[in-house]
Amino acid sequence: MVFLSLFIVNKSGGLIHHRPLGPNAPQIGTNEWLRIGSTFHSLHAIAAEASPLRLPGNKNPYGADDGIEEIHAGGLELRCFQTRTDVKFVITAEPGTSDMEYVLKEIYVLYTDCALKDPFYELEMPIRCELFTQAVDNLIEHVEKNGPSKR
Amino acid sequence: MSKSTAAANGHSLWQKMPKANAELFALTYGTLVTELVRDYESTEDINEQLEKMGYSIGVRCVDEFLAKADQAGMVIPPCRAFAETAEVLAKTGFRMFLGVSAEVQMISDSSFSLLIYENPLSLFVELPSDPKWKDIKYSNLYCGILRGSLEQVNLRVECTMVKDVLQGDDVNEIRVDLKEVLVDGAGEEYDEE
Repeated sequence: MVFLSLFIVNKSGGLIHHRPLGPNAPQIGTNEWLRIGSTFHSLHAIAAEASPLRLPGNKNPYGADDGIEEIHAGGLELRCFQTRTDVKFVITAEPGTSDMEYVLKEIYVLYTDCALKDPFYELEMPIRCELFTQAVDNLIEHVEKNGPSKR
Repeated sequence: MSKSTAAANGHSLWQKMPKANAELFALTYGTLVTELVRDYESTEDINEQLEKMGYSIGVRCVDEFLAKADQAGMVIPPCRAFAETAEVLAKTGFRMFLGVSAEVQMISDSSFSLLIYENPLSLFVELPSDPKWKDIKYSNLYCGILRGSLEQVNLRVECTMVKDVLQGDDVNEIRVDLKEVLVDGAGEEYDEE
């Protein structure tokens, strides 16, 4: 299983983090990443509005709002996890990669432990925490080698 | 979510959290409040500062709560009524971070009171009997925390401390009023015609 990239979008659609997760990750410039982030945010919102199945109160029982959760493409699989606080964690990987959900949830925990607890980190701003990037790298390395393990 | 699941969740999340020394925590908060007392003239300013600090804490700890609950395999479904929010806050949230549960007293559909019997912040505190301390809300940090964390999940609330053990009451009571459910959408111009 090979992970490609991670990007995190804040509640207003701005990109707050992007990171290549493996050697096959495409080389994309920062401006492109910002465009990808806001495009994804808009598509996510449109998908929620366009969904033919409108769940009561527009919320599904066990998760955040409806919106894009998975994209299966020829050379890519994308998974998105939207938290209850409207932060979107999006990860891309080569087809056939398992445990993307697990990785997304672990990255959320790392975000709460490393980025949010940094007193100098301002919410909704780009994440510049060494601790967070290091922890994400370690997580990916661990998952690629051993598969998911319960903490 | 039922009351007993909320309590059970709170307890098991509390077990997993790294612990700090309760005395250190209480003493640190105490020095914080005394510094504020030195810096600000009126008790209103002090209370406001405490609330602001609580707000910064609240916006951050709600994600931690949701992430760790998810990681522990607990399902915390979106609340369908404000009463559910109250239960989750009192039994799971408070328990996870502070190790103490609060009781919920619903006042109406959009407001409730949280009753806290044991307050870890005020472990060694005694307010001086000078009348100028009558209005100080020592644990106003909680009000900010509640306001901050609920705002992150799109609920705008106002929280006030209505009863305080340090002021002579038998219980600490925080009143939470729901003001608005924030909805971010594409805007009115995109509504279907």
